[in-house]
Amino acid sequence: MLRLTNLRKSYGNIVAVDGLSLEVRRGEVFGLLGPNGAGKSTTIGMSVGLITPDSGTVEIEGAGAPTTDSVRKHIGIAPQALAIYDDLSGKENLSLFGRLYGLGGRELKDRVHRGLDLVGLLPRSRDRAGGYSGGMKRRLNLAAALIHEPPLLLLDEPTAGVDPQSRNNILDTVRDLAKAGKTIIYTTHYMEEAQKLCDRVGIIDKGKLLCVGTVDELVRAYGGKSAVRIERGGKHERVETDAPVREISRVLAHAEAGEPVTGVHIDQPNLESVFLGLTGRSLRD
Amino acid sequence: MGAFTGIRAMWAIAWTDVRLLLRDRAAAFFTFVFPIIFAIFFGLVFGGDAKKGKIEIAVVQIDQGSLASEFVASLRKMDGFNFTPVASEADGERIVREGKASACIIIPDGFDRGLENIFATGKGPEVPVLVDPSKAGETGLLQGRLMEQSFAMMAKSITQPDRMKKQLQQARDTIAKSKDVDLSRKLMFGTLFQNIETFVNDANKPGEDGKAVIGGDALSGFSPMQFEVKDIRKQRTGPTNAYEVSLPQGIVWGLMGCVTAFVSTLARDRQRGTLVRLRSAPVTRWQIVGGKAIAGFVSCMLVQWLLIGIFAAFFGVRVPNPPMLMVATVFSACAFVGVMMFLAVIGRSGEGSAGFGRSVILIMALIGGGTLPVFFMPAFMKPVSMASPFKWSVDAIEGATWRGYDSQQMFLPLAVLAGVAIGGFVLGSMMFRRAMRE
Ligand SMILES: Nc1ncnc2c1ncn2[C@@H]1O[C@H](COP(=O)(O)OP(=O)(O)OP(=O)(O)O)[C@@H](O)[C@H]1O
Ligand SMILES: [Mg+2]
Repeated sequence: MLRLTNLRKSYGNIVAVDGLSLEVRRGEVFGLLGPNGAGKSTTIGMSVGLITPDSGTVEIEGAGAPTTDSVRKHIGIAPQALAIYDDLSGKENLSLFGRLYGLGGRELKDRVHRGLDLVGLLPRSRDRAGGYSGGMKRRLNLAAALIHEPPLLLLDEPTAGVDPQSRNNILDTVRDLAKAGKTIIYTTHYMEEAQKLCDRVGIIDKGKLLCVGTVDELVRAYGGKSAVRIERGGKHERVETDAPVREISRVLAHAEAGEPVTGVHIDQPNLESVFLGLTGRSLRD
Repeated sequence: MGAFTGIRAMWAIAWTDVRLLLRDRAAAFFTFVFPIIFAIFFGLVFGGDAKKGKIEIAVVQIDQGSLASEFVASLRKMDGFNFTPVASEADGERIVREGKASACIIIPDGFDRGLENIFATGKGPEVPVLVDPSKAGETGLLQGRLMEQSFAMMAKSITQPDRMKKQLQQARDTIAKSKDVDLSRKLMFGTLFQNIETFVNDANKPGEDGKAVIGGDALSGFSPMQFEVKDIRKQRTGPTNAYEVSLPQGIVWGLMGCVTAFVSTLARDRQRGTLVRLRSAPVTRWQIVGGKAIAGFVSCMLVQWLLIGIFAAFFGVRVPNPPMLMVATVFSACAFVGVMMFLAVIGRSGEGSAGFGRSVILIMALIGGGTLPVFFMPAFMKPVSMASPFKWSVDAIEGATWRGYDSQQMFLPLAVLAGVAIGGFVLGSMMFRRAMRE
């Protein structure tokens, strides 16, 4: 659906994206993960034709580069920086964005209504967006990406700074869109979101794509060993192992001799350990 | 992407920008309300409608007879008018032409005689009234009052029995001597005059109001004086009202508000992230700018006609040539859209460009007559003011209002405004690619 080949973009001395190649398949939810400043937004910007790459190509399957109007119609974007007019109501915002895509009349009205309904903004549709909460603005920002019903959605941190209720609404919406056959690129810092939502993820750092695969594949390849934590006499012991269950039975078998075991935990490798393993623990930016 | 879709997108952008301007209280205030307050304030400072409520009328008294003098004196006592004596008919006509008076009344030679012979000839003296046709309301009012005054005059002459008897005697003599009047008529008139004499004596009794009796139905259709209204085409040489000067100044401030508001919209869209949406939509850069230009044009027209409407309706500003004024406002709006385009792209960093644009615009407004009309400026400032598109805008609007330019005189300001419009578009579009980049 979307093929990025050898994309490169630098701002002065800063290389934002450094030879990135990636293929997103039709109908999948692709998670693009990376620490702050990794180059996610720059990649999204180049994918929709907002940012011109220094080199490399972007291709939308069957349409071409997103520099022409007809290709742009296939893409919906929810930018990381909220892109809505504070002085317009939710409804007016969506109407405007619909008109930019050539919609009008009854059809536009219906879509605006459905869009507001989808993100739970119908009761506040006539209020100015400037008065919305952070979560409501995020939801409106998402609805604006959907108004022209594009097959490809680029969602840049669609859950940044929202409460669990708004987050759930947004995640549900994304899931519904995926079910409806949309191709979605989803950037986030929240590993559990990516784990729950994405068919495949790619981890990017310093403008380079470090790995791509399903969550399971990545955990197996980069997650490292599981760890077993034993609580005994108010102390924790941590043992890394490939076979946590065997390790636990071994510990318990020996336990009767010494102090009683009060707790047993298995820390399984997850996306977060993959992420931290690949990108390191040092602070960014 | 058909042309229709593009136009729809352009209108959507334009409509959004106009709405955003109207909803931004501070911007809306400075664009629409402040210019009105400013123009009213300066109109008052410059003298407002100096003869507020009074209608200026010139009077030429050629007949120096007692009735003529009395009539002029009675006119001067009339409320709501300001009668100024002038020496000759030519002077009176000039004053009306220059717009210094709405009308000129001429008391001709033979006025007294005409009035004295009123019963003999059946009609009073002819009194020419030269009027400015653009002041139909005021001169209509004047004619009504003149008629009233003429009846009062006659009533007065009747309530002075000596004068009346003299009139009747003259009438009898005229009729008696006349060879055109047959005997039966002479008898009839004789009876009539007798009756009038009796009536005059009655009317003169205490408590009777002669005017009321005379002015009644009995005499409907009869007029003691023949007012001959002659239109004098006004030759506009100066504003007759300070608001005619302060209106273009208000327009300068209004246009300035529009330009300032729209110069920052591109910067605002960039800053607020909405430019990303506009640019990721299937809309060309030209359509985005076109939408913004339409919004700017609509706002400029709105503010100009809002001011014109208010000042024409409530402050006595004359709009003798509405099509010409429409042309002037359209050219002004186009010129300032050009200025907007140029300023919007010249500086591209958010607040910076808005601040820069504001200063440029403010300077242009000041040297172009925003606070002090150009014709009040010291001589050395006049050539400087020509560098400001506002000066040409003011010129075009004044030309279409109190200066009464003909199309030839309008050509220069309109041509300059068109040049500013085209120049702004060309320079703006040259730098436009740069401005639209992230
Ligand atoms: N317009 C720009 N001018 C200069 N530097 C830029 C610009 N845009 C991005 N960068 C730099 O490029 C790098 C990548 O930025 P990008 O916004 O793509 O990161 P990101 O992965 O989206 O980060 P975040 O998670 O914080 O949103 C950063 O170092 C950033 O400072
Ligand atoms: Mg980002």
